[in-house]
Amino acid sequence: MTQPSATMNHAAPSAPVQSVLHVQGLTRQFGGLVAVNNVSFDVRPGEIFGLIGPNGAGKTTLFNMLTGLTQPSSGAVLYYGQNITGEKPYRIAKRGIARTFQNVRLFGTLSVLENVMIARHIHTRSSLMRGIFGLPPARAEERETRRRAFELLELVGLSARAHVEARTLPYGDQRRLEIARALALEPRLLLLDEPAAGMNPNEKQELSDFIRDVRARFNLTVILIEHHVPLVMGLCERIAVLNFGKLIALGDPARVQNDRAVIEAYLGE
Amino acid sequence: MAAFFVDNGFLLVSMILAAVLALSLYLPIMAGQLSLASPGFYAIGGYIAAYMSTKLFPIDSGLYPVWLVVLEMIAAGLVSGVLAVLVGIPALRLRGIYLALATIAFVEIVRVLSLVQAFEPVTGGAVGVFNIPQPFGTQIEYMWLALPLLLISGWFVYRLERIRAGRAFVALREDELAADAMGINPTYYEVLAFTLGAIVAGVVGALSAHLLNTWNARQGTFDTSINVLAFVLIGGSRTFVGPIVGGLVLTALPELLRSLAGIGLLPPGVAQFLADGRTIIYGLLLALSTIFFPQGLITPRLLGIGPRRAAAPPVAEQPASDEPPLREHV
Repeated sequence: MTQPSATMNHAAPSAPVQSVLHVQGLTRQFGGLVAVNNVSFDVRPGEIFGLIGPNGAGKTTLFNMLTGLTQPSSGAVLYYGQNITGEKPYRIAKRGIARTFQNVRLFGTLSVLENVMIARHIHTRSSLMRGIFGLPPARAEERETRRRAFELLELVGLSARAHVEARTLPYGDQRRLEIARALALEPRLLLLDEPAAGMNPNEKQELSDFIRDVRARFNLTVILIEHHVPLVMGLCERIAVLNFGKLIALGDPARVQNDRAVIEAYLGE
Repeated sequence: MAAFFVDNGFLLVSMILAAVLALSLYLPIMAGQLSLASPGFYAIGGYIAAYMSTKLFPIDSGLYPVWLVVLEMIAAGLVSGVLAVLVGIPALRLRGIYLALATIAFVEIVRVLSLVQAFEPVTGGAVGVFNIPQPFGTQIEYMWLALPLLLISGWFVYRLERIRAGRAFVALREDELAADAMGINPTYYEVLAFTLGAIVAGVVGALSAHLLNTWNARQGTFDTSINVLAFVLIGGSRTFVGPIVGGLVLTALPELLRSLAGIGLLPPGVAQFLADGRTIIYGLLLALSTIFFPQGLITPRLLGIGPRRAAAPPVAEQPASDEPPLREHV
């Protein structure tokens, strides 16, 4: 039995300075169902942190609380020591937390390029009127937005499809585009919700290398929800396991893999 | 040729104004907000022009100064804009059909208030405002104001579709939640789109009051809401060209049908139908185009500016995302 006691027993919401994300006692109830139950953990700078668990364990609800899409019933989220609990999604995005979605949520009828350009929003500031009249600062900013968007598309291998309607892309490409869109926010913390879903084994391996590569290149901390075990075990430095909304294990892959509670959660007693 | 323009002056100017009014409804739709509030602001704009030209700056004889009409248009735009922010912030908390209902209610409130006795000095109560002075000798000359208005608002929306703010609008239309998570403040951009639409509608109302010479509670009602919505949906709601074409064509269509009936070459029964049954034909066309052209007649792809389809068809079904994991590995 692995009790992640070291991280669960923080009394006051004062995060250790070294953690990117400090989650404390986070709880979300939907009516009688406790989707996420008193979950606490810390994410360290630069690590790739895995979040796993059986169906309905509360992983996506947890992600939604971290990004402001779902309000926590109780508990706190500190990002670099600042309390972001219950902030609006767009404000959390501005702070430097970007995410992808379990069921891809692209701007479907827009082009691949537009999808990424939209996500440059927080790094551009030309006003409506400057933009309308194409005054010099706005014009340069538009060019820069386009250039940066193309760079990111090149990075994920979609630059040849820049002018394709996003919803007509194959599923794997849609997931790649979502990552490019999230990276356009220039986040410090990237949350990936099942990035490998629907990819074949080769693509999964590529994705794994890709995630390591972008972490190094953009100096990121990554949290990912993933079901594909070899990918999680090979990629993540630490893993948190949720079951019925509770954190049942937290640690490095070897430790989590041999944890009794985890084995019970997945195989039954 | 010149005679044609002079004879049809009212229709031609009405077509242009309908196109601009359609643009005013297109703006919130661009940000995914199904708002039918435009006719309410159109009505308010008309009352502002009626009040200013008959009470504030009345003239004894001759033509009304054009610069005063422009001033009224600016005033109508400003008042509509301020009012739109006040109405928009609470109303835009609603979604989809509920927002549509709330905006219909707004249009109705404006209509009822215009009949209230307290506002009679401005609105003229049930009879409305008469003898709104004319800035031009003929109706076709209204083009001097209507055409620049269409060009400016058309150019504005054309530019908007290519810049940061416009991208925020369409992102909200495509997926508000994803847009929010990408750092776009939904409330700000939705209220902005609503307000821009209201300003345009108010300005059109001010000019229309002069063109119609009279303004009353029958201007800018629920019927107008539906007509203008038809301009946008049939013309096309994915590019600014759609509502302009929709406004122009659908305003001209009933008149075209009527004159077609009048040329005398058709059997009497058909001519009769074209003349008297034109609202039936009009309704039928609306139904048919929504079935066969759900994105409207003018789409970005038709204009060659929209995104292409991917060469390979997309995977038909998304794989189940919550597959049983770990099992064989633990």
